[in-house]
Order: sequence, then structure tokens, then C-alpha cells
Amino acid sequence: MLSWPKPPGDARLSACHFCDTLHRFSPVEEGISARCVRCGGLLYENRAASLTRASAFSLAALLLMVLVHTFPFLIMDAASMRRNLTLTGAASALMHQDAPLLGASIILFTVVTPLMLAGGMIYVCLPLLFGRAAPGANFAAKWMYRSEPWNMVEVFLLGVLVSLLKLVKVADVHFGIGFWAFAGVMLCMAAALAGIDREELWDRLEVAKP
Amino acid sequence: MKQPIIKASDHGLAGCHTCGKVSPVELGRCPRCGTQLHLRKPDSIESTIALMAAAAALYIPSHLLPVMTVVEIGVVTPSTIIGGMMTFWRSGAYPIALVIFAASILIPLLKIASLSWLCAAAGGWVHPSPAALGRIYWFTELLGRWSMIDIFVVGILVSLLQLGNYMAITPGPGALAFAGVVVLTMFAAMRFDPRLLWDRLDQMSAAAPPHPTIPES
Ligand SMILES: [Zn+2]
Ligand SMILES: [Zn+2]
Repeated sequence: MLSWPKPPGDARLSACHFCDTLHRFSPVEEGISARCVRCGGLLYENRAASLTRASAFSLAALLLMVLVHTFPFLIMDAASMRRNLTLTGAASALMHQDAPLLGASIILFTVVTPLMLAGGMIYVCLPLLFGRAAPGANFAAKWMYRSEPWNMVEVFLLGVLVSLLKLVKVADVHFGIGFWAFAGVMLCMAAALAGIDREELWDRLEVAKP
Repeated sequence: MKQPIIKASDHGLAGCHTCGKVSPVELGRCPRCGTQLHLRKPDSIESTIALMAAAAALYIPSHLLPVMTVVEIGVVTPSTIIGGMMTFWRSGAYPIALVIFAASILIPLLKIASLSWLCAAAGGWVHPSPAALGRIYWFTELLGRWSMIDIFVVGILVSLLQLGNYMAITPGPGALAFAGVVVLTMFAAMRFDPRLLWDRLDQMSAAAPPHPTIPES
């Protein structure tokens, strides 16, 4: 099944990102990827049900983010005090302890970037399901892909686990809903990003009606 | 090979960094997404080396300075990344100690080493073997982010362990230095252009006719 529209025009070319080898674009069946003849790098891949998957998983990630910011990651009881861990709580604690840059980096890599990724994905892909491009969709798609390397959801989750092992010695700690919701965000975002090829998303944007 | 290898840059064509569309470079900007078009990332090697040198310089203070200070019943204990790792190791938590060792000590060093090697190969000081080097490049891009784990641990502990007079944790200057190492190595990896390795290889095989064939994949 070929559901990937190619924009009209004479030059349908594709250049490898690793070695710059020029390829004539040839459509591939769903589930098949095209690789560079020289270095074997991935050129593009026709993913099955790409728009539906990208929209559904990014919507799920956005909904889970509401839970992430409502419930704590860890709940700790120590010295007759109960303390909760949230993303914004960790960031503001650092800001109050004279480390504003570290606090900002937590906000940037675990709150802003995932929001840009999931939000950008749904903003671009949902209208595309109906063959339309949302206003400013090009801008949204551009910044979505730019933010991708700075998304550190999974790194923060591992950080929570390491902290937990440090804390069990001094206090009574257990997981909150926020932790599991954030793990869900990680899985949904990975599925959304793997759901649609970058090349396909831009081709669909180019042929879509504004 | 059925057909000769043609590079986009040989025809003055540039693949867009953002959307992948191949357009003539004299357009200046990508007609599809508006990103600036370049045949190769401008000043790629120079800026990679500069960012990497800054990261390497910060790496030393990031391990010498405390990442956090623990105040427990009036006793002040500064803690470095290596110190925290040793505590886990001595208490028998070997997997966690190894995770910290890999994320905080090994990965930044490996990134700096592999980027230096990539720059040396792209600059023609060592022989480029793009297939192997390409894998190294991909690997450094993939692993770099994991070093942030220590910064997140500091943030989590500072946030949770504010127990009044009993125990309090404050972030130390080592944490900021270490965050700087991670961000700088990430920028350095992004600035590097792997296509330069293939350019160098083509240049070398053109200069040395005994090896005219392109290796089959
Ligand atoms: Zn290639
Ligand atoms: Zn473009």
C-alpha cells in the first residue's frame, strides 16, 4: 500500500544525511525503508498508519503530562515530615538554592521539550489526517524536530530510580502516580516519533491544503 | 555498483537539515521550510573543536568540585560525583555504581575522544573510514543525553531532602560545570558534519589512483 503523497515537481531527489549521496526518490511500500546505496544510512521509511499513530500517541502523551504535573513522582516520609517530588518542585528547589541554571535545565529538558514535541506533533499531524495544514504548521514542525535531541524524559526517569536508591537509606520512600505517568509519556513519545518519517511528514505538509 | 555515486553537492544541491528536501544551494533558504541551505555545515570542524575543548576544560572542575553539599545535623559534607559513585560501590549497589560510572565519567570522555577522532579524520590527519566512524558518530549522538542523569539526581535530592535542622542538601558548583560539559558536548556533536568524512575519503581516493573503487556496502 502506498499512502505517501509526493509533492508535484520535477526533481524528486533525496540526499543521504551522512554521506550526501544523491538518490532518485522512489516510493516504497508500507513498512519498507529506503537505505543509502553507499553508506547504508536510512533515507526514509514508509510507516504504516503513520498519521493516525503519530496523532494518537502524541495525544496520549499530552494527556499523561497532565497526570505528571498533578501527582508526585516520589513520596518520602522522613523525620515526621512528608515531602513530594514533582518536576516543577525539583526545578524550583534548585532555583531557591542559588542554582537557577540547573533549575532551568530541568524545566527545559523534562517539561518544555516534551511539550513542544508532543504538542507540535499533534498540532501538525491531526489536521493532516484531514488533508489540511494547520496555520504555522511548518514553523511548528521545524521546532518540533529541533527540540527532539533535548528531550530527556527517560534520563530523568533513571535519575528518579538512582535517587530512590540513595533515599531508601534515610527515609521511607515510595513511587507516586507521577512516576508511572512519566514512564507512559516516554513510551508514547517514542511511539509517536517512530510513527511517522520526517520526510513523509514534510511531504504531506507540502501537498496539504492550508 | 550499477551506477556511479553522485553527491548532491557535486550538482550544487543541498539536502535541507530540517526537512530533507533537496534544493539548489543558491536559493539560500529551503523553499519548503525556510531553513538556511548549506552544502556542508559552515565551519563544522572549527566549531566542533572549540565546543569540545570547552567541554574538556569543564570536565576537570566538574569532577573536582562538589555537585552537592549535605548538611546532616549540623555536619557539612561536600559530595563529588566520584564520591557518590564510591558510596554506592562500597554499599554493594554495584549496578547503580556502574550506571553512574558510565553516565558521568565514561560517556563524556568517550564523546570527547570520539569527536576528536572524527575531527581528525575529517581534517585528513588520520585515515577516514566513514563506515566505522559513522557508527561512532551515531553512538555519541545517542548516548550524550544520558550524562544529564547526575544533574537530575542532584535536583531530586535537593528538592526532597529539605528536612529543616535534621538534614538539608544544597547544589554545588560541580553540578553546573557538569551540566555545561553535557550541553557543550551535545552542541559539539550537532555541529559536526559526517559528510566531511566521505568528502575526505573521496579526495584521498582521487589523489591515489591505485584504489579507485568505492567499497561496496
Ligand atoms: Zn549515505
Ligand atoms: Zn527544508
